[in-house]
Order: sequence, then C-alpha cells, then structure tokens
Amino acid sequence: MRRRSKIGYGAGTRVDRRQWLSMLGAVGAAGLAGCSGDDGGSPETPDNGGGVRGLDGIEERPTVSGTYDTVTSASFTTLNPLYNTESGAGTAIGRALDQGYTFDADDEYVPLLYDMSTDDGEVWVFDVREGLTFSDPYGAVDAESFVYQIEELHQSDWALTANATDWTGVNVERTGKRQFQAELPEPQLLWPESFDPLEYPIPKGVLEPYVDDENVEGLRQDEELLELRFSGNLGAFVLDEWDRGAGTTYTRNDEYYIQDADNWSDLFSNAPYFEGASISVVEEQASRLGALETGEADSASVPPERFEEFDNDPDVSMLQIPQPFNRILSVNMRDNGWNAGPGNLFRYVAFRQAIATAIGTDDLIEGVYRGLAEPHHTWQPAWSRWYPGDDEVPFFGTGDRYGAGPARELATTAFDRSAFDYGFDGDRMVTPEGDQVTLDVYHSAGQETAQLIAEYAAQELDDNLGIELDVQAIDGVRFNNEFWTATPEGGTDTVAGESVRWDAPTPNNPGPRSVTSNEEWDMSLVFGLNTYPRNPLTNAAFFDGANARYNPVGYYPEFDAGGLFERARTAATEEELAAAFADVFVELAREQPYVMLAFGDSLTGYNPDLRGPIEDFANGWNAPGWHFAE
Amino acid sequence: MGLARYVVLRVVWAAVVSLVIVTATFVLMAAAPNPAIQEAATQAALEGGDPQQAVERERELRGLDEPLHVRYLDFLTSIYTLEWGWSDHRSQPVTEALVEGLYYTAQYSIPWTVLTVLIGPLVGVYSAANMYSWRDHAATAFAFFGYAIPNFFFGIVLLLLFGVWLDWIPVVYRTDVAVFSLENARQLALPVFVLVTGSIGAVMRVSRNESAEFRDATFMKTAKAKGVSPFRAYAYHVMRPTLVPLSTTLVSQLLAIFLGSSLLVEVVFGIPGLGRLTFEALVAQDTNLVLGATFVFTFVAVIGNLLEDIAFSVLDPRISYDDR
Repeated sequence: MRRRSKIGYGAGTRVDRRQWLSMLGAVGAAGLAGCSGDDGGSPETPDNGGGVRGLDGIEERPTVSGTYDTVTSASFTTLNPLYNTESGAGTAIGRALDQGYTFDADDEYVPLLYDMSTDDGEVWVFDVREGLTFSDPYGAVDAESFVYQIEELHQSDWALTANATDWTGVNVERTGKRQFQAELPEPQLLWPESFDPLEYPIPKGVLEPYVDDENVEGLRQDEELLELRFSGNLGAFVLDEWDRGAGTTYTRNDEYYIQDADNWSDLFSNAPYFEGASISVVEEQASRLGALETGEADSASVPPERFEEFDNDPDVSMLQIPQPFNRILSVNMRDNGWNAGPGNLFRYVAFRQAIATAIGTDDLIEGVYRGLAEPHHTWQPAWSRWYPGDDEVPFFGTGDRYGAGPARELATTAFDRSAFDYGFDGDRMVTPEGDQVTLDVYHSAGQETAQLIAEYAAQELDDNLGIELDVQAIDGVRFNNEFWTATPEGGTDTVAGESVRWDAPTPNNPGPRSVTSNEEWDMSLVFGLNTYPRNPLTNAAFFDGANARYNPVGYYPEFDAGGLFERARTAATEEELAAAFADVFVELAREQPYVMLAFGDSLTGYNPDLRGPIEDFANGWNAPGWHFAE
Repeated sequence: MGLARYVVLRVVWAAVVSLVIVTATFVLMAAAPNPAIQEAATQAALEGGDPQQAVERERELRGLDEPLHVRYLDFLTSIYTLEWGWSDHRSQPVTEALVEGLYYTAQYSIPWTVLTVLIGPLVGVYSAANMYSWRDHAATAFAFFGYAIPNFFFGIVLLLLFGVWLDWIPVVYRTDVAVFSLENARQLALPVFVLVTGSIGAVMRVSRNESAEFRDATFMKTAKAKGVSPFRAYAYHVMRPTLVPLSTTLVSQLLAIFLGSSLLVEVVFGIPGLGRLTFEALVAQDTNLVLGATFVFTFVAVIGNLLEDIAFSVLDPRISYDDR
C-alpha cells in the first residue's frame, strides 16, 4: 500500500453544505463565508516579505512566552465542531481541537490526528495516531471515535451535521483499535484535497444519548461540544471561555500531543510556544487596526488602502498572502436579469466579453487594489499548478482587448445575435425604443473596496460601452436571500440544441432561467467565489452544465463543459488531467460566465516579533510552532 | 385618589400595554414566514431530499400545525415564564444571551445615566443663573457640540487619540476584568464620556430654559427677600419645578440613545452589549433573539414611562391623580 500521492486525479465533485458556503469568497457576507480559509489553494511559494520568514532555519527550541492575541470582525455562531460552517469559528475551534490532517506549503499531506493511505483511490485506510486522549472520563481517541460519528451522525438522516454529505455512499469500517477504512463509490485520489474526510475527534460517550433519541436539538446545544470540554490533549490550547459577543480565551495545553509526534520536528517538542491565546471580536475596522498598531493584537487584516502605511510601520509586519477567492462581476442571465429592455443581452458570450473588455483590469488593480491583487483571467489563479498558461488564456480588459473600440465591436456582435434592435446612439447604448441602457449593480454595504470597484465599473461601462450603471449598496444576507437564491423548482430547458432537465434543483440553481429569485437584479459584486486550485474538479459544481449545482446567474455553457469535466474525472495521468483542466479553463476564460476581475491578496499585519507566518496560501499550517522572537 | 392607588393603576396599565405588545408580536410572527422552515426546505434540497416533506416535518416539530389559539397560549406562557427559546446565532438560551448583553450594557449605561441626570440639570440651572455670561456661553457651546457631533465618529476620534496615539486606554475591550476595577473604569471612560456628551445637551438646554422661567418668579423674589442663599434658592425652588417637564425629556432622550447610539458606541468600542446583540440578531435573522431583545426594550420603555408618571406626581403635588 502506498502513501497518498502528492499529485492525483479523479477527485469527486459532490458538494456539501459546508462547501457550498465555502464557495462564497471573502467578499461575501461574513455570516455566509464558509471554510474559506481552509479550502483551496496550493500556490507556488512566493518570496517572503515584511521580515517574517516562517519557521525555516530555526534550530533552537523556542521558549514559551506571551499570549497570541488576534482580532476578528464577526462573532461566532457556534463552536460545536459538528455543526460549524464558518471559517472564523473554525479558527476558534482549531486553537483547542485539531482535525485529521493539513497540507504544508509544498502541498504535501501532513497527518495530524490520522494518516491516510490508499492503493487505488477507492479504499482509504485511516491510521489514528497513538497517544491521543480526550478529557476525563472519555479516555483514548481510537478508530471508534471517528467511525461512530461518521456512521451514526454524518450518515444518518436526522443529525444534519455540517459534514453530512461528505460521507454519502462511503462504506466505513473499523479494522483495528486505531485503524479504520473507507470504501468510496468511485476512486478518488484527490480525496483528502476535497477535505471530505477531514474530521474532528468527538467522544462516543458525548454523542450516544443524542444518537439513541435522535435528538438533533440536544446535539446542537450540548454544552460539552459547544465549549470543547472534551478536547484533552488534542489541541494546542484549552478553551477557557467563549464570551458570545466578545470572543474566546485560551490557556496553553501542556499535554499537547504534537510534542511527542514522530512526524513533527524537534521544533515542536514543547509546542505551543504561547502561554495563552485569545480571539477578540471587534466589529469596527478602525478599532481592529488600532489594536494592531498598539500591539494589543498580534495579527489583523488590513485593507488595501492602509497597506502602505502599515508596511512602513516598524511595529507591524505586513504579509501579502495570495488566495483563490475571486472578485467577479456577476451578470444575471435569468428572466429577472437585464431590466433595461427586452431580451437579456447577458446571455450572449460576446456581450459578456464586451463587458470584460470595457473594464480595465490594470487600472482596477493599480487604482482600487493599489497593486495588491493579481489579474483574474480564468477560473484559476496564475499560481495554480492547473493554470493553462498565459499564451492559451484569452485576456480581456487589458492590452488590445481593452477600451471602447474592441468593447463596442463585441457588443455589436451580440446585438446582431439578439432578436431585439439594440444599438449605439453616439456614445450611448440604447434599447430598441431608443432609451439609454441603464442597469443596476449591487455591492456589499460597508465594504469600501467593493464600492470603489462598483463605481469604477460604472465609469468604465459608461465610457467604453455607453451603459449607465446605478450603483447600490446592499446587506449581504439580504442579497443572498432575496436576489442570489430562489426556491428550487426544477424544470426543463433547451441548451445548445439539447434538452436539459433540472432533476436536483438547489437554492443556488433553482431551475432553468425562467426560475427566478424574489427580486430583480442586473449585476452584482456582492459575492466572490472559490476557484479551488488545490482540487479544481470541485469547480464542476459551478460549470459542468446549465443544471450545475451552483448557478445563481443562469449560465448556460456553450462548450461541452460536462464532457471536459468528465475527461478530467477519468484522467489516467497527470498530463491528461492537466490537459483537460487547460481546456476547461481556456473555455471559461472565453465565455466569462462571471466577468472575472481580480484576485485580491489577503493582507495581514503581524506583530514583527512573531515567527511563523509565511506569504503562502498554506499560512498557518504549522501554527503550533509559531513563537515570539526572544 | 391617593398616590398608592394611582401607582397601582399605572402598573396595571403598564401590564396591559405589555400584553398588547406581546399579542401584536405574536400576530406578526404568525403571519410571517418562518425562516427555520425555509432553512429546512433548503437543507433538504441540498441533500437531495423532498423539500415539501421537510417543511411539513419542521412545522410539526415546531408545533406550527397546532390551532392558532393553542399556539397563542403557548406563546404567552413562554413569554411570561421567561422561556424565550434558543438563539441559533449565539448558540445559547435567549435569556442567557440577554442577561450577558445587559451585563455589559449596564456597566456603561448606569454611569452614563447617572452622570446625565446629575450633570445635565445642574449645568442647565447654572447656565440660567448666569444667563448670557461667558459661563453660560461655554456651557451652551459644550451642549451643542455634544448634541451635534455623531457619537460614532466622536468615539473613533477619541479612541484614536487616547487609545492609539497616547496609549492611555486599551483599544480592545476586555471582558475578563472585574466590574469594579480601575482597568474597567479606564476602558469604559471613553464610551461613557461620548454618551454623556451626546445626551447632556438636550437635558441641559431644557433645564436652562425651564429654570429661566422660574428665576424671576414671585416665589424666588420672596425667597431672596427672606435671605435664602442663592444655592438653596436654586436647588430647592428652581430645580424642583424644572424637573417636572425635564423628566419627560430625560426618559425619551435616554431611551432614544439607549436604542440607537449605544449600538454605535458598542460597535466602536467593541463592547458586547445589548445594542450589538440586537443588531447582530437582526442581521442573522435570529428570530428568538430579536423577539427577546424587542421585549426587553419594550419593557424598558413601558417602565420608563411608568417611572416618568410617578416622578411627575412626586415632584409636583399639585398634579391631580384624578385627571390622569
């Protein structure tokens, strides 16, 4: 049996609720952002900057000192590991309770609580680490700690846990005291990268009473789960208190298992290296940045417009961390989109290309992001190993494909295809009735960057396409409920000459274009999405057909998306896989299902004395070794 | 009718008002779609189940298939026995959440209220006694400044000045310090100052204008003629009649700020109080918690009005109970 390979192929494409939420990027509503910090990318490691070099080259064992205090903008809904779907709460849980495994900066699988191995990608063997214990009276962590929760909760029809659909169709069996195996319905060599098999350890003794009664409310509200009282030696810290409005406080866990773990170097032999930790909920950005500046917080996110100021501050070390959540201009191709006149021009590829051509991405990145973002031309960041290469991907909004001339040419192509007589009257784009084309664009209220992008897009579309945009701010939750999602209805429609049925409609793809949300809308900057560079097959959920599971905008692919994703799914070699992905991403760049604008970097300020953070999407994978310089 | 009977009647009336509000809330809730049911349908759809079946199961589970009067009685029982349900947004019982919020809100709102009630009328009467002097102008300028500047903005400016630049006070609010400790006083000094400046203006101006009326009243002339000291004359003879109209201003002012400004101040200073709790519950559509918070604010308003009425009667014995 071989250990799981670094590169694999044939991963699954099922998407569970947690992943649904994780598809919404950082620009979405805070309450909806899922495990966005945990999923996704495997960037090439860029040069470190800002004086923070990670843990490379540190040979002496650090001393335990200080507390690691961070601030966050939103409070946590739950710390119950079985029901959490938020990234912020995931971080709070993670301080006190490890999960099964992680990935390092080289994209290598790193076992934490269990190692995973497979021969064929179909049967996966889990070896639970020795020496893991829950708090009294729950005893040692063993295979049963995982098998019981998978079989009795995740695979039940009553518990509705966050990981419920991860285990659908998977046959789980205990094969030893500390070993179990999972047999998948079809081989998946990228299974760990999908994070489906990522679990927290939960004592059987806590779960049993609820399982016997099928008591989901009781399980959600159990105080031992909510306050992580069972965490034993399974986390770097022990949770002292969760003050719902204020945040969490922790003290060092002297018994942390990683101190004795074989696969972790001597550097971790006394981990963690802080006496305590805290996460404070501070909603006001000015206050969070103030806390970073005064040293009350050891880490905080910094908006692009303040990056330079903090970068020049000797008391703060700024990191520019690449990430795979994109900034897109969503255009509504459903029947309640394009409210300027008859016929929905967004449905024509040429018209979406015209919009992409009219919005200059170079100025956007320099002007709005102050250079702290990467261009977004296709559904992968350029640092992804699956990015097809600059020569193959058609770029819009830059070079020859930017400006009024090329944009109007593309728009005219779309007009020709439309049954309605749209056109240009001087500088203005006009409807068949001769009225100015006016559309609305929504952005998240209170997000300065989003507002700037909306205003920039409005100016560019006015200058280059003669479209008037009405910029409107909206709360993310309201946008999600009333505009972005709809009641699933299903139905049938003709797509590229073939009949397509919506057999499993979801709120995010409720049916054909005739099925619409409660409110009309034209364009939106409210949500960004995950591009899944670690396991791009997950993107099939967005694009493998008009009836893909996540398609709020009503996009109907004009290329054989389903066939290409199937090619990737059944690829036998890495080359075949890369070729299939290249075709997918070239086509997506051409069709612009969402008008792709930029990948904003995650800008994080740290205490300059802190050793450990790196400018890499895997930042934090070795957090137990982080420490303050002496 | 004596004072005791009047107070009893007012209390009964307050109870009736609260029942009307609770009933109206129930009617609105019964008419509105339940987000939990929508969520159950969504969850079922995501997992390939039957949304309609999930909706029915959820309705049954939540007792929504019962007749309306049964649900109403259940609702009333729960409200008056403080069983206000579970807050999904905070993963704790609603009453516990509200008590936690009140605990932090009280820590700044009690000193704020006390200071407003003490300083506002005093400065107002002082202004009236020194009308059109530089002291009056200074007090007026201070009052208008506090009234005009938005609390939210003022809070950020003060936090930057004293927290970030001068480093005199902590930027992150800490919940682990003792209530009666120097550390807590330090971290609450700015929020209390911002709120006091915001609320003192109206109180001070009303008391200044009201007391100006009594400054030249005949009873003041009599008092002066009898040799009463100016302090005693103002404290006893001007302040008391001034407080009657002022009590109306005080209650409405404090309630308005309690609901609006305290949220903004809590956001700026990171205080996990009732304002933020309510706002977050609204955004997260946490129905139980929103209802609970609404009841708290409603009861505060009802009790505030009750106290105002009683204060009227105590402050001015000439006000007849029979007409009220």
